[in-house]
Parts: sequence; structure tokens; C-alpha cells
Amino acid sequence: MRAIIFLCVGLLSFSMFSQNKETLYDFTDLPQSLMLNPGADTNFKYHVGIPFLSQFHANAGLRGASLFDVFADDGRSINEKIETTLNTLTNYDYLTLTQQLEIFNFGWESKKDKNTYFSGGVYQELDVIGYFPKDFAVLAYQGNRDFLNRPFRFSSVSGSGELLMVYHFGFNKKISKRFTFGARAKLYSSMLHLRSARNRGTFTTVETPQGSNIYQHIIGNADVTLRTSGISSLREIESENTADGAKQVVNKLIGRALLGGNLGLGVDVGFTHKIDEQWSVTGSINDFGAVLYTKDVETYRARGNFVFEGFETPIQISGDGDQDFLDELEEAIPLDTLNNSYITMRSLKVNGSIKYSFNQYDNGTCNCALDGQKGEFLDAFGVQLFSQFRPKRPQYAASLFYYKRLFHFLRAKATYTIDDYSYKNIGFLVSTHINKINFYISANNLLEYTNLAKARGASLQLGFNFIM
Amino acid sequence: MKTKKIYLILLALALVLQSVSCVKDVDFDQVEDVVLTPVFEADFIFSTFDTAQFVDPDIDPTIIIPEVVVDDTLNYDLLGSDFIVDNLEQVELTFEFSNTIEREFEFDFGFLNGAGQRIGPSFSITVNAGMGLGTDPVPTNEIIILDNATINILGAATKLVSEIRVQNVNSTLDGVLELKSKGTYFINYEL
Repeated sequence: MRAIIFLCVGLLSFSMFSQNKETLYDFTDLPQSLMLNPGADTNFKYHVGIPFLSQFHANAGLRGASLFDVFADDGRSINEKIETTLNTLTNYDYLTLTQQLEIFNFGWESKKDKNTYFSGGVYQELDVIGYFPKDFAVLAYQGNRDFLNRPFRFSSVSGSGELLMVYHFGFNKKISKRFTFGARAKLYSSMLHLRSARNRGTFTTVETPQGSNIYQHIIGNADVTLRTSGISSLREIESENTADGAKQVVNKLIGRALLGGNLGLGVDVGFTHKIDEQWSVTGSINDFGAVLYTKDVETYRARGNFVFEGFETPIQISGDGDQDFLDELEEAIPLDTLNNSYITMRSLKVNGSIKYSFNQYDNGTCNCALDGQKGEFLDAFGVQLFSQFRPKRPQYAASLFYYKRLFHFLRAKATYTIDDYSYKNIGFLVSTHINKINFYISANNLLEYTNLAKARGASLQLGFNFIM
Repeated sequence: MKTKKIYLILLALALVLQSVSCVKDVDFDQVEDVVLTPVFEADFIFSTFDTAQFVDPDIDPTIIIPEVVVDDTLNYDLLGSDFIVDNLEQVELTFEFSNTIEREFEFDFGFLNGAGQRIGPSFSITVNAGMGLGTDPVPTNEIIILDNATINILGAATKLVSEIRVQNVNSTLDGVLELKSKGTYFINYEL
């Protein structure tokens, strides 16, 4: 119960976006832009990410509320604030949490074909989305007395979480002066996975003036499923409670990270098309693929119908005899534990942009451009679109951006993003390029930075690369 | 030299960002004050006493049965979990009788523990007499409140015993006694 309440409070206390990396997308000075669009118009001889430091990305948020809504130090009782927030949130509000860590990342220009660039690497990803289970949060917080005849829907329970390692290799090819195409193959090794989606059925307390008793409590057409993989064997370790339990868990997870987990395949594809010298269009899809869960799988499924109208006593006209509420419930809605394999699509991401570049470097009085690349544009602006497919419905975001090459060693990009949660999300990326060593840092929601408690979400990326 | 300067600037920028970024005007200790106070309503017991089922209408009406008693014991452990006992502040049991039988009834109920012994108080309700078949049923409504101390005792209950008794019954007596009831459970759960 405590865990459920903490989950609900946790859901209330963040607000967030998605895996959108609006500042990094099409920032072709950084090799990480190839991870968002394998067809990005980059220009590297080779690059090596500093192991474990080449990209750290974290992103958290909640649609519908912020920490401040619940924990504001404003003299009001927290219970009143929870109730107000509860009334504001809907089943479509959610918490998301994404974290990525590049273990390593490398790339090199093909010796045979200077227009082809290969890149590969490994990264770890944690991706969690939990929809706010409004119906059952209300039931837990307020009870059913004020909600007679109103169904509580099991469909409000929906979410997924996954920890996985991704091995990838891709190529980027300038097919013509105007068109660059790229693709990346991905091998997923899932360490942990949980998913409950497309649940059905309702719980309703119905007033029955003509019935046998005051109410009927009806669970109708219930069909609730929780799929897990990688969890049940860890639970066994925990239950032994040995001193080295934590070590065993870590060892198991490392084994799964090293291709010992549930495996899957996926692909990223993308392109850049230069309409003319200054206008360009890009597009990409990421993580078009699926993971097949066959190992350490446990699926819990409860299905059925149940009506409860109290205990018939002392006179039993219906002759039901010995009545046991819990036995009857378990019989009507049995909880099955299945070990069948299942397959889940990865959460597909789609990016697109249109960009206008200007202010071509040509006066020779500064060293704004890279050596041998005279004529590069120093400024650009445009529009980017992002969408990610989620269990209930896709998330969308649209950004305006401005790119500026301030000096040879310092490039920056600012974004203004509108998405489900915010109409004033400003992001900023700074990238330094000094003696082949590159450092970049990016954050969004800068307007809320002075008080993150009021933010509906925040995202951070940073990393070091060695670029030639 | 230039490189050094740039890194100094970046370091300063990072420090500034770090110093302005914070979580203000919030008090996370408030989580200690979170109290859940949901109120749940659930059906309790129901029953129908139809005279035709207890008195053979063919019996000579002059024969008076001094008392008819019906009793029953059923499994009942809805108060049995620690969570319920620890966090249930109060229970209101609402009884609604409607009677067309021209007799008063006595309804009693109580609880037994696993060893079959009576625990906690016994409850008794007198049901008003009705006015005969075809008349409007006479209602009797009663609310019994179980306080926290009683709930703690009843935490050990595994069975519910109930009994209904009516006196001076004969075959001319006609009508129906209906019982409906619900429990209103007031939870008070502190995190």
C-alpha cells in the first residue's frame, strides 16, 4: 500500500517530456547527432567518445503537475494540495524517466569511399513511463462512497519500464552533394522489463433499490495483464537475503547486459536533403524494432466477472451454503501466472526538421570555420518536430531553433519547444572544440531552472569526444 | 593560454548554473503529514424471511408456534488483515428492514474467533411489526457504530453468527421481512 502511495505521489511530483533531444538533433558538430539521425550531414574523419563520458542523458517529467503543486511550502495542508492535484490530473497524464549512458562510441571515414562514415558503439538505456492511474488513485484516496454507480476503469492502469543495453553499428553515406542517407542496426539486450497495457474492465458500486441488498459491487469484463521479464529470478535472490545478494543481482544484470539478456533487433534510418545551398530538410526514425522475451518471463493475468452483494444470512433462500468471499472472488477472477514468451515493439521515435542556413564565412578576418572548410554557414534557424509512440498515444513536440557558430571552438544552439506539457521550454546547447577534444552540455527548461520544483520536466545531456 | 581561458569561462558558467538551479519554496517533509482518509461502502448481509417458507399454510390456524428461531454461521474475515485493523478508524453498519408481517422480530448478530468463541459485543435490533400482506412495508433503520477499540477486538473474528426470532406464529400470518445492510469503512492511513 505504502509503495502504491509513493508511486502515486511520485507520479504527482514530477512532470516530464519524452526522449526528445531537441538541442542535439541535427547538431552536426557532434558525433552524437548520428545517434538521432544516422543520415545527418556530418563531416568527421574519425571520432572516439571518451568511454563512459561521451554521453550522459537524463530526462524526467510529468504531464499534468509539478513538484511544486504538491510540496509547495505555502501553509496549505499537503492533503488539500494532493486532492486539488488529483482532481486536475487525468488518465492521460504520465511520468516519464529516461536515462542513457554511452559506454563507448566511435566512428571513422571509409578508406575506400570518403563519402561513407561508419560509426558504432554501446549504450545503456533506462526508459520508464507510467500513466497516472487516476481512477484507482481516486479510489485509494477518496474511496467509493462518493462515486456510486461510476465505473473505475482498469484501463487507467498502464505503464512500462525497461533497462537494456544497446549494441549498434551504422553507416552514413553522402549519396550526392544534396542527399545524405544513413542507417544503423541495433541489437538490444534487455536486462529488466515490465509492462502493463491495454487492460480492460471496470469496478463499479451500483445502487440496487430493487435488488437483494443496498448495492451490487461489480467487477465487469476484467482483463488485467502484467508482463515481466528478468524480475522473477532477481526476486528469488532477494528472498534468500544473503549478504552478497546485491552482488548477485549486479552480476546477473551485467551478464544480461553482455548479450545474456532477452535479445531484440532494431534499426534507425535517416536522411538529409539539401534543397539548395541554404535550405535543408532532415528526417529520421529511431528504434524501429522489437525485443523477444523468452528468458525469465512471468506474465500475470486476471480475467473474469464477479458480483458481490453481501452475505446472505441468517436465512439463505438461495441455498448458497457456506459462503467465502475471497474464495469466490479467486474462483471468479483467477490470477494466472504464465511463462509464455512475448514480443514487444520498442518505443518508436520520429524526428524531422527544416533548416535555413546563412551568414557564410567569407571575410577571412576571423577563424570561425574549421580548417579547410571555408565557406561554412555560421548561423542557421529552423523548425524541428518530434514524436514518440507510447502505450496509450504518441507524444509530440515542436521546436524552433537557432544555431550559431560563435567561434571556431565554440558552437551553440538554442531551442524553443512546445509539447504536451509546456509552452515555454527553452533549451540550450554549448559545444567546445579545442585541440580535437570536444565537450558539450545541454539542458532544457531553462526558464524553470531557478526553481526546478515548478518545472514540468527537465532534460540534461553532456559528454566528451575526441573528434578529428 | 586561450584554451585555459575558455575552460575557466565554462567552469564559471557551470558554477553559475549550479548556483541558480535549485528547488525552492517546497517542503518535502510534508510527506510525513500525508493522510489518506478514503471512505468505502460495501454490502454487509442480506436476507428475506417469507412466512410461507417457515409455516405450513395448511396447519390449523389455531395452533400457535410460540417461537420460530433461524440462525446461521458464516465465514467472515474482512476485518482480519493487519492493515485493516491498524488503519480502520470506524465502521458504521447500516441496517434497513422492511416488514409486512404482523409481528415484531428480534435480530441478533455477533462474531466468533478461530476457536469458535464469541468475541466483542453482541448486537441486537428489534424490527417493527408490519401491517400484513399487500400493505406498505414498515421500515426499521438502525446504524451500529464500531469504534477503533471494538475493531481491534474484532480483528480476530473469523465467523459471523446471526439469528432472527419471531414469536407467536400461526398459519394465517402472511408477509415478508426483508433485511438489507451495508458497512461504511472509514480509513485513516498515515504514511
